[in-house]
Amino acid sequence: MSTSARDSNAVEMRGITKAWPGVVANDHVDLSVRAGEIHALVGENGAGKSTLMNILYGLIHSDSGEIVINGKSARISGPRDAIGLGIGMVHQHFMLIPVFTVGENIMLGREPVAGPGFYDHSRARKEIEELTRKYGLRLDPDARTGDLPVGLQQRAEIVKVLYRGANILVLDEPTGVLTPQETKELFVVLKGLVKEGKTIIFISHKLREVLEISDRITVMRRGKVVGHLITRETDEQAIATMMVGRAVLLRVDKKPATPGPVTFKVENLTATSDRGVPALRGISFELRQGEILGIAGVEGNGQSELVEVLAGTRRATGGRVLLGDQDVTAASAREEREAGVGHIPEDRRGVGLVLHFSVAENLFFGRERSPAFAWHEIVLRLRAILQWANRLIKEFDIRTPSIETQASALSGGNQQKIIVAREMGSRPKVLLAAQPTRGVDVGSIEFIHRRLVAERDEGTAVLLVSAELEEVTSLSDRIAVMYEGRIVSIEPSGTSEERLGLLMTGGGTGAGAA
Amino acid sequence: MPSTVRHAAGGMAVPIGSVVFAFLVGGVIVAATGGDPLSAYAGLLCGGFGLACANGENTALQLSTTIVFFIPLIMTGVAVALPFRAGLFNIGAEGQLLAGSVACTVIGVKFNTLPAPILLPMVLVGGALAGALWAGIAGVLKATIGAHEVVTTIMLNYVAQWLVRFLIVGGPLQLPHGFSVSSPIGAGARLPTFLPNDNSLIIFGLPAGVYRVHTGLLIALAALAVFAFLLWRTSLGYEIRAVGQSQRAARYAGINVPRTIIVTMLIAGAFSGLAGAIQIAGVDHNLSDKFFNDTTGFDAIAVALLGLGSAVGILLASILFGALHAGGSVMQADAGISSSLVQVLQALILFSIAANFLRVLGGRFRRRPAAPASQAPGAALMTEAAKAPPGDGQT
Repeated sequence: MSTSARDSNAVEMRGITKAWPGVVANDHVDLSVRAGEIHALVGENGAGKSTLMNILYGLIHSDSGEIVINGKSARISGPRDAIGLGIGMVHQHFMLIPVFTVGENIMLGREPVAGPGFYDHSRARKEIEELTRKYGLRLDPDARTGDLPVGLQQRAEIVKVLYRGANILVLDEPTGVLTPQETKELFVVLKGLVKEGKTIIFISHKLREVLEISDRITVMRRGKVVGHLITRETDEQAIATMMVGRAVLLRVDKKPATPGPVTFKVENLTATSDRGVPALRGISFELRQGEILGIAGVEGNGQSELVEVLAGTRRATGGRVLLGDQDVTAASAREEREAGVGHIPEDRRGVGLVLHFSVAENLFFGRERSPAFAWHEIVLRLRAILQWANRLIKEFDIRTPSIETQASALSGGNQQKIIVAREMGSRPKVLLAAQPTRGVDVGSIEFIHRRLVAERDEGTAVLLVSAELEEVTSLSDRIAVMYEGRIVSIEPSGTSEERLGLLMTGGGTGAGAA
Repeated sequence: MPSTVRHAAGGMAVPIGSVVFAFLVGGVIVAATGGDPLSAYAGLLCGGFGLACANGENTALQLSTTIVFFIPLIMTGVAVALPFRAGLFNIGAEGQLLAGSVACTVIGVKFNTLPAPILLPMVLVGGALAGALWAGIAGVLKATIGAHEVVTTIMLNYVAQWLVRFLIVGGPLQLPHGFSVSSPIGAGARLPTFLPNDNSLIIFGLPAGVYRVHTGLLIALAALAVFAFLLWRTSLGYEIRAVGQSQRAARYAGINVPRTIIVTMLIAGAFSGLAGAIQIAGVDHNLSDKFFNDTTGFDAIAVALLGLGSAVGILLASILFGALHAGGSVMQADAGISSSLVQVLQALILFSIAANFLRVLGGRFRRRPAAPASQAPGAALMTEAAKAPPGDGQT
């Protein structure tokens, strides 16, 4: 890179260092983002990407280092300063008020005023329309924000940031919640913004997207920048290796499945959501020993409820679930587990673990009355628990200072490995894996994927639910697509993401079925 | 398994800091009102532990009094600490204690001719059952319809207090001669004291009969052991802690959350009820108007918080509070400072734990980012208990 480009750099961060007690989150980090480019910032969880961006946005103060915005040295002591410098941040979790209209959310905090204290409705609407037209962001300012699909909510968030005069947009994992189609639309929007002269910093760990959208890439690992790359000169494997610090197997290495007899049969299952509306409208499928059935779908189409019903934490309102020839439709969570159903829940921190329990305690969670760990369901067998924990920690490579360490002190990947170890370790007949790698680092994803395939090869029937289409397609032997509480189609493993994406949004069943 | 010792040692700084803080502020209050803090605290030390006595108080007698005070504190402290672990705030230890006292008195009076080997277990078990029943009401209400246990246990305290009043002021238990006392329980219902009740026997310079330390002490220590064992070594204790940490996770694990809540309250109530029974069987031998002003079950909340909900902590906190109670009267007599200072100190201790501001002050100087586990365990217990919404709103 030529140094003459310095003047055209929109953002220049030099020697940024930020230490927390015990960790250096940013260690002399240099980042330069050119005006008018899409710059990807990649790295595993805990690599320091968010810390760096929070420093840029003024949410965190660095211990040392310099920030130059548009060629001028900047002191950013809070988000107000950042906004003043034209920096806008689109958070992973939207900062929108669901009951407000899109327009109200966009205006929030900067409402145009007509007279003393009156909200100038028509001017607000005009300004938003201008803005959306300029950037080609179709958006209805009168829609109730909470009713919109996630992709449009995100768009509202982007418009909000633009409305505040942002020229440099930081997007934190923007595609994590989007469908493939929505992701595509977002990318169109981002390219349009760049054409209009905006600069975009795109934080992600999805390498394919990074390759697709970005111009240049900065890779971070453990608080340090380990590489500056030009996107068109690199590939997925190179970035992954840089991120993790060793060669990573990106493709899941698996033999073709050798499915056995049907062990799990779901017939016309119905259930309602927490809000009492139908979430499952007649789900039927069969699961064979030694196969992975993937469930693809946009989040909120009943996948969570399906897994909960099968795991015994939600009651079915109709239909049947058979495990072997045992009817487990109405079985409680404990009965399901005892019958041989393992469950990796989608909410790791709130459901799958007790964060203030030790690693050892978490490793027998839900089994505290089983004969292996308790004498007559009364007194815990501490020695057995200890041996079990030590075995699983070794077998599943859980990196923890000790078995007494609180689960909350471990990284997301290692927390997830506790759950995976616990649920696989008790040799289930059926394994329900919901979002098994969500928010987990690349190394752990690789590990968990390998274990899921190994589990399959040992004859377990695996039901995999994931919002990551790539995960579903690379692991599954068959793919069931859910849409609005129904399975709209069960596809073979080679199905293209385009077709799956179409099915996920309610299309494709007619034309593509041939 | 996390050992009780580790749990006790982990957060010692906060409770000790709270006590030091309370004594400092208490000293300022004494000085501001014209008293001498040093002589006040000397009086407390003498009254509580029989140390540094100015007026020749008997060390053994003072210690004996302290022990008599802390026996029910231990039991009720456990009755508060156990529900804390399940995310429940049992404010009702007082009511449960009174229920136990009433049951003990009724059984002890009604069957006063039975011999001790039969009657003593009867009154103790009866007291425990009555306490369990009293707490169980709140537990069932919480588990089934989600009525908040703070409200229900407070209300049940009132019911128990007025019930005691009714029973011995013109009620069925009152003795005919007009005083607000019940008949004494039978001799077989009394817990023996460690020293013979024989005033011709002189021990440590006083007649043996004045030392009221009774065998309820052994029951209290056993209760602590049971509490620690239950919590850390049993499936039920594990489930109680899981429910206290996250009801959603507990449900995922297949733990029956409503049942665990009810069982926890039953056990807690049994501890409190047993405390009430021991108080009658070991000290008072009848129900009297003295119980109108009893605050043991409320002090127990402070004991459980100061003790960080651990067995060792509860023991130490009970000893401290027992000593403060015993010391109050000596302080009043020797230093001329109202024994109400004891209540002030107790309130200050509780206040500083609840406000968690020692930690906040510490944070000011060090400027640390908020680490996830930086909350003081005492305060954590409280906020956990307070935030657990009825029924978790999930089902």
